[in-house]
Amino acid sequence: MSTGTTDRDLAARCQAGDAEAFETLYRQHAARLYSLACRMSGSTEDGEDLLQEIFLQAYRKLGSFKGDATLGTWLYRLALNHCLDYVRSRQAKMDKRTDALDRNGACEPVARRETPNARLDLERAIERLPPGCREAFVLHDVEGFGHKEIASMLSIAEGTSKSQVFKARLKLRALL
Amino acid sequence: MHPNETTINDYVDGTLDAGEREAAERHLDACAACRRLADDLGAVRRAAAALGPRMPPADGWLRIERAIRAERNAVTRRATTKVPYWLAAATLLLATVVGLRFAPFARQAAPPAPPVPTAIAAGDAGQSVETEMRQAADHYEKAIKGLEQIAGDERSALDPATAATLQNNLAVIDLAIGESRTALHTEPDNEPAQQSLIENFKMKINLLQDTVALISEMRRGNDAGAARVVSGLKQQR
Repeated sequence: MSTGTTDRDLAARCQAGDAEAFETLYRQHAARLYSLACRMSGSTEDGEDLLQEIFLQAYRKLGSFKGDATLGTWLYRLALNHCLDYVRSRQAKMDKRTDALDRNGACEPVARRETPNARLDLERAIERLPPGCREAFVLHDVEGFGHKEIASMLSIAEGTSKSQVFKARLKLRALL
Repeated sequence: MHPNETTINDYVDGTLDAGEREAAERHLDACAACRRLADDLGAVRRAAAALGPRMPPADGWLRIERAIRAERNAVTRRATTKVPYWLAAATLLLATVVGLRFAPFARQAAPPAPPVPTAIAAGDAGQSVETEMRQAADHYEKAIKGLEQIAGDERSALDPATAATLQNNLAVIDLAIGESRTALHTEPDNEPAQQSLIENFKMKINLLQDTVALISEMRRGNDAGAARVVSGLKQQR
């Protein structure tokens, strides 16, 4: 059985109200989507809420899954769009806060470079990056998107995306 | 002159063209500060790319399952809320039909249109689906009881074979209603069972309505009208 058929079958079972099938879908993809949600939102709590909303949306929209891409890719796009919507809706408020954070040096490294648990420290430091800077960094350095795509997703200039990633890397530099 | 941030960034990302890259490397070989910066930024980039997935909270699935169940219940509740409106309309139609067809038999009272339960019509959010289903079922049953009364009283107007066929069909529908009820007793939120119960109630009302119409036509001696009703009954089966 091909992945496409398996995915379509799983999607159909989920749509039919098969809770076990939906749990399978969740177990397969939740970690990746949760990581994206936490890193994009900059908060574990918001990441949890976003994860719930993402799967609720998936439940509502599974009927539109045609099997052209894998179910994982379809879910990832849905999650990314949801995270981007979340980021955009916060944008106006966050603009002011970003300036304040930058001025106050709120993004001081949370650990020194010799910290053994560097991965967790990096996660925490990403959460503390200023909004705007954080999303561009996560999309580029963690998720692997190009600056052109990021510019389109975040409705910013390509040069701004590059500049934001550079700024984020500088802030995180002291950690490693 | 030190390269600007864009050049350093592009160098770290490996997106400089050959000439630019060569120029940047020449500078980095001679400038320890820029070399350190480029190395550190490269290390940040590699560490970020190597970040693994974060595990969702242990109760993550439970939260989502609850949210989906709540949404399904809300949809069911909205669907159930519509039932009394449909039933009110159907009962009105039924009352009219029965009233017209039984005009010569003034002693036969058409079943009164049951009042729409205000709690359901108002869509009381606090009411459980189970309660609403029970109210909808009570409602249908009242309408059915009225029709059964009329059909039972006038059954002698039907020939025995037709009466037996109608009785058998009603028994099949009653069986289906019983099965839906059993399923709902075990699992009150079972959506297919809820829909099945409502559908079977509708079917029973339709059949009883046709039975009453058939009796009326036979009482009048209108064979053509009776044949039309019987034809409709056959198509429904």
